[in-house]
Amino acid sequence: MAYIKIEDLSYSYPETESLALDNIKAEIQAGEFVLVVGGSGSGKSTLLRAISGLIPNYYKGSCNGTVYLDGKPVRNIDRRQLSQKVGMLFQNPESQLVMTGVEREIVFGMENIGLPNKLMRRRVAEVSTALGLSGCMRTAVSALSGGQKQKVALASILAMQPSVLVLDEPTSQLDPVAAEEILNMIRHLNEENGITVIIAEQRLERCFHLADRILVMDRGKLVYQDRKPKAVARWAVKNNSPFIPPLARVFAGVNYPQVPATVKEGRQILGSYSNNKCSRYEHPEEAKLENFNKEKNILDIQKLWFSYPNGKEALKNINLGVQAGDFVVIIGDNGAGKSTLLKAMNGLHKPGKGKVIAAGRDTRKVSVEQLSPYIGYLSQDPGDHLFLPTVREEIDFTLKNLGLSTKGVTEEMMEQFHLTPYADINPRDLSTGERQRVVLASVLASKPSVLLLDEPTRGLDYSLKEQLGNLLLRLNEHGTAVMMISHDLDFAAEYAKNILLMSEGSIIASGNKYEMLSNSTFYSPQISKLFSNIEDDVLTVEEGKKVLLNLMESNEVKALSL
Amino acid sequence: MYSYQERDNLIYQLHPATMIVFVMAIFILAMVFSHPVYLLGLLLAVGIVIVASGNFGNWKTYLRFCLMMALFIILINALFSPAGTTVLLELQVIPGFYSIQVTKEALAYGMGMSIRLMIIISVFCLYTYVINPDKILGILGRFGNKSVLVISLCTRLFPLMIEDYKRIAEVQRCRGVNYQSAKWWDRIRNLLPVCSVLLLSSLERSMQQAESLYARAYGSGSRTCYNREIWRLRDYLTLIVIVIAMLAGVWTAWMGWSTYNYYPKLNEFLINETVTAFILSLAFTVPAILNWGWMKWPTLRSKI
Repeated sequence: MAYIKIEDLSYSYPETESLALDNIKAEIQAGEFVLVVGGSGSGKSTLLRAISGLIPNYYKGSCNGTVYLDGKPVRNIDRRQLSQKVGMLFQNPESQLVMTGVEREIVFGMENIGLPNKLMRRRVAEVSTALGLSGCMRTAVSALSGGQKQKVALASILAMQPSVLVLDEPTSQLDPVAAEEILNMIRHLNEENGITVIIAEQRLERCFHLADRILVMDRGKLVYQDRKPKAVARWAVKNNSPFIPPLARVFAGVNYPQVPATVKEGRQILGSYSNNKCSRYEHPEEAKLENFNKEKNILDIQKLWFSYPNGKEALKNINLGVQAGDFVVIIGDNGAGKSTLLKAMNGLHKPGKGKVIAAGRDTRKVSVEQLSPYIGYLSQDPGDHLFLPTVREEIDFTLKNLGLSTKGVTEEMMEQFHLTPYADINPRDLSTGERQRVVLASVLASKPSVLLLDEPTRGLDYSLKEQLGNLLLRLNEHGTAVMMISHDLDFAAEYAKNILLMSEGSIIASGNKYEMLSNSTFYSPQISKLFSNIEDDVLTVEEGKKVLLNLMESNEVKALSL
Repeated sequence: MYSYQERDNLIYQLHPATMIVFVMAIFILAMVFSHPVYLLGLLLAVGIVIVASGNFGNWKTYLRFCLMMALFIILINALFSPAGTTVLLELQVIPGFYSIQVTKEALAYGMGMSIRLMIIISVFCLYTYVINPDKILGILGRFGNKSVLVISLCTRLFPLMIEDYKRIAEVQRCRGVNYQSAKWWDRIRNLLPVCSVLLLSSLERSMQQAESLYARAYGSGSRTCYNREIWRLRDYLTLIVIVIAMLAGVWTAWMGWSTYNYYPKLNEFLINETVTAFILSLAFTVPAILNWGWMKWPTLRSKI
């Protein structure tokens, strides 16, 4: 008998008529690693909340069908018992931690279920050791990094010893290193401790191969499920679904008999072609980031040094020129100075030494507000921009603020960003991707010549990333220079022209994306790692498919000639 | 956010209840005593404990603020308190009509009050830097878990909201919202977007926190209270000495030994009062004395 059984589950949130879940049927065995994939608003989070008992007991709303846990309907299980069977980890660590100190946060759940002090002390010791938190038990939560906070949230749940761990995009707010650590922990918990894991995750390349079962959601429906990643990859390619990792997309996209789930498996498959270097692959034309300090630079950074008031030197001798039509992705580890550089470009940070010339003006002599019509800035969280009751007013706000005419411009922006149907809707009620489009429309309404974006792909699914990438390319074609910070190397490989690598406040290297990403061991996308030493300059899924097809063809020719 | 930072000495290892009793005892006696020698003794005792706990640097910051306040108190009291008989200085504000007399008694009273203020601020410094706020919440949790949760949430959310405010203000400035406008009403009006976003983001966060509380069975029935603090010999020794000293202090006040009359003429300092004040001060340095032994003889650590 299945450990978790979802039987004809349909659900709609209070005061809404549309179904967030539509007749879901699924069975999950104890100890399985289940990956739930789907776009923003597909019902992934709602399904996870139904499994953890939050729907309908906490959210109320209209619910038909039942979720069974070990044969018992979840909605009828006492909350205290349920929290000891199913633990739920949410997206944002900041929004789920409630106590001030690490130790108190870990014991919070145990206190709620009334465990005796002796048992709590034992479990705190166990769980803190297992998750590597022993050294920071007396630290304030506010002093921890995002990854550590998510570990504390996980520890708090694990201390209640649940047999099922439900995770709703647990790494979406984390940097790649912290995300990798959390996913490794989750894998370990599944493999070594036998905990059933049900996870919704956007970084499919990190957990696609771990899944025992993959559920694909779309508009509230469970559109496909299979135990084999290969079958899911084939289904996704056939149905034009973006929810498979780039590696699987390459192989399934050319109908290759095998679909690898990891780079290692992929390279083993390609191993047989290693002697057939593909001579027919047309190497992409190189776009170069050069000609610094030319007259045409719309943004010119000369010998820039910057220190924060606490004395931390964040930028060291930066020289950079940005020209119309540039699309540069800035990469580097946390604390490398990426965000500081972006803020120096639009005048939020004034140079300590050297200068930044933006739109022909020295940023030391003009205010951020004066530069804002020429330099658009999009922060990590679109929510930081939105406060007006309708999409239309939000776009109007920027124009009115800058003293520009709104006549026709707002309509044009809404049209361009496919927002016309939402003109009179509160932007905060829209999905993640739509919110981001509203912010972009409001920022770009003043037609800035440079657009600065701080990690805009964080938390976006493949489909939304594709939309954003295409949107940026369109802007770029019209001459807007795009400077963006990203940890997402697959996105950078797919859309950027140039890459800039920063470390400890300095630009370590810069160049076109082929030069920067295909010759790096760590800063390279999955596709590049797959074809490393087999074919140079392969970064994108399309390029990967071309090379694989060429390799397959040349192998066939070779076989025939023999 | 926390001012508290754990250090490796005995004072940090005392049970939080012991330290709370210490802080309360000093605070109460600072209120009860008016004799400057007794007050100086208390200030000295708190100072020794703060220095022994390794927080001299932090105390200096508090003292700087205290000295400014003390000068202000002394000056105001000397200039505007007409009491006292020993006139040191007479200032003719409006010659023939209004003059200010600075008396020795008013000056001394201002000094006495300044010492009291310094004790209270120093004991607050000790509380801030030496007692882990989480441990306090742990102790209070036994008496009212909802109130403790509210305190905890506020403590957590306050720095988060400050960070949110800074970030949102930057974002809105990049949209052309001007906070440096010359007109104050424009500046206030331009704060509206920031406050709106801050409010909306906080509401969204509170909804998510409520969900997290529910998922972790908060409010599902009676709670237990986690405690890993152990009562050790060091706590009993400290508590016994402090309680005796506290009672002795109250007794000296009852007997009138630790009270002092500044007006109309300053009382004389008696030897036996000074000796009693010294003994009391010595008693309140017990955490520092134990810490000294703890540092000097490592084998003593497990014994006490």
